[in-house]
Amino acid sequence: MPDGIAAAASALRYYERRQEIVANNLANANTEGFKAERIFARLVGDSHPAPDTATDLRRGTFRETGGALDLATDSDGFFVVNTPQGERLSRGGSLQLAPDGILTDSAGHALLGEKGVITLGPGTVTIDRDGLVAVDGEPMDRIRMESLPPGTDAQHDAGTLFLPGATRQQLALGSRSVKQGFVEDSNVNTVSTMVDMISVQRAYANAAKALTTLDGIRATISNDLGKVPG
Amino acid sequence: MDPALRTAATGMAAQQTRSEVIANNLANVNTTAFKRSRAHFEDLLYQTVQGSTVVGAPDANSLPAIQVGRGTRLAGVQRVQQQGPIEQTERPLDIAIEGEGFFQVQLPNGSVGYTRDGSFGVSDTGTLVTSEGYTVIPGIKVPDDSTEIAISATGVVTATRGSDKTQTEIGRIELARFMNPAGLLAQGENVYLETPASGAAVVGYPSEDGMGRLLQGSLEGSNVEIVQEMVDMITAMRAYEINSKAIKNAEEMMSIANGMIR
Repeated sequence: MPDGIAAAASALRYYERRQEIVANNLANANTEGFKAERIFARLVGDSHPAPDTATDLRRGTFRETGGALDLATDSDGFFVVNTPQGERLSRGGSLQLAPDGILTDSAGHALLGEKGVITLGPGTVTIDRDGLVAVDGEPMDRIRMESLPPGTDAQHDAGTLFLPGATRQQLALGSRSVKQGFVEDSNVNTVSTMVDMISVQRAYANAAKALTTLDGIRATISNDLGKVPG
Repeated sequence: MDPALRTAATGMAAQQTRSEVIANNLANVNTTAFKRSRAHFEDLLYQTVQGSTVVGAPDANSLPAIQVGRGTRLAGVQRVQQQGPIEQTERPLDIAIEGEGFFQVQLPNGSVGYTRDGSFGVSDTGTLVTSEGYTVIPGIKVPDDSTEIAISATGVVTATRGSDKTQTEIGRIELARFMNPAGLLAQGENVYLETPASGAAVVGYPSEDGMGRLLQGSLEGSNVEIVQEMVDMITAMRAYEINSKAIKNAEEMMSIANGMIR
């Protein structure tokens, strides 16, 4: 016999998870470089929905800031930063200089160039379309950029970073489209997320109703069915 | 469901901080040489939750591991060092910098401060000072008998002296420039301090080596654009609202769960 109550319970659990993901997307509606997490159900067995997620890598809108160390990319690639846990991918953002002139992201992780960490001396910093960093016109290093192999799901890490995949792929020159003086806004669409949230609540109520109905049937079976009338 | 509540709460807190930054920008819409600030955020730790066991599932399909984020936090508040509009004042000791650079001022504690507010005056000892009374480096003495002061685009200060109107060069204003001016520490009174993040000051004369030029009789206005701030304020308010809706939604789902047992 298909276990309806267990299926309804799986559905409830799925929608709770979905609400958590939606809440996180909404909380990060203004986080620069944030990529929304999409959640969908996968059928396990014949009636149990199980949550699965994928990162929505669509580009957010670019906002001009004019800051020399604000960086975005109009490509599918990522910049590479060095964190204590290893190398991580980033979509750019507001960079800064560490005390020793090392170029870092806003959390202090060094941004990696092709020659390693990028150390800048005083002067005017320019970064061209292919990520070549120059100080007063003198080239220093080229920013390393990688792309995820097609079909892989980007794994989030805290600090608006992503985990690099098993195979590392350099992004070809000419397709990097690095933009200096821009930041990429979050790609969360608040309107559709809001609609999603409403439907989550309704679906949750429906699943709860299904569960109580099935429970009611069992109550009838166990309490009333064997009763001798009169 | 509890994590959804806390996640949405971090979103509300973030939007509140953002509104505070916007309010300060708007309060300084007429502050000379004020530079607007911008709050930016990053996401919090992700928790990898396995799809765990599914009750009564006949075939133990491998369930995908999914990542659930736990909200957002303030990553930093950055100053946007964009040129403000140049406003004509016709006052001889008002100087605006058009382009990069900061005036250097001697702070009472001995350190050097940096400002783009060029509403200068002459102190009782005859030195060129800022409106707060800090000496402009390198201490330019204005002679007692000068009737007119001219400041060139390259920073040369010339005084017209006495009744015979002799022109004397009395000093040259120097500017300082930083690799990352956004990293300067705001001290209040329009004065900034050098930090490791800003890089070391590079000192030079105006109109040379990438320094901006000086404009006498003008001041740099605030770079706050009211329309931009209003738009940001609306988005911050709506985002705040939408996060409160997420809390309400999670709360209602809990109440549905509670209602299942009668």
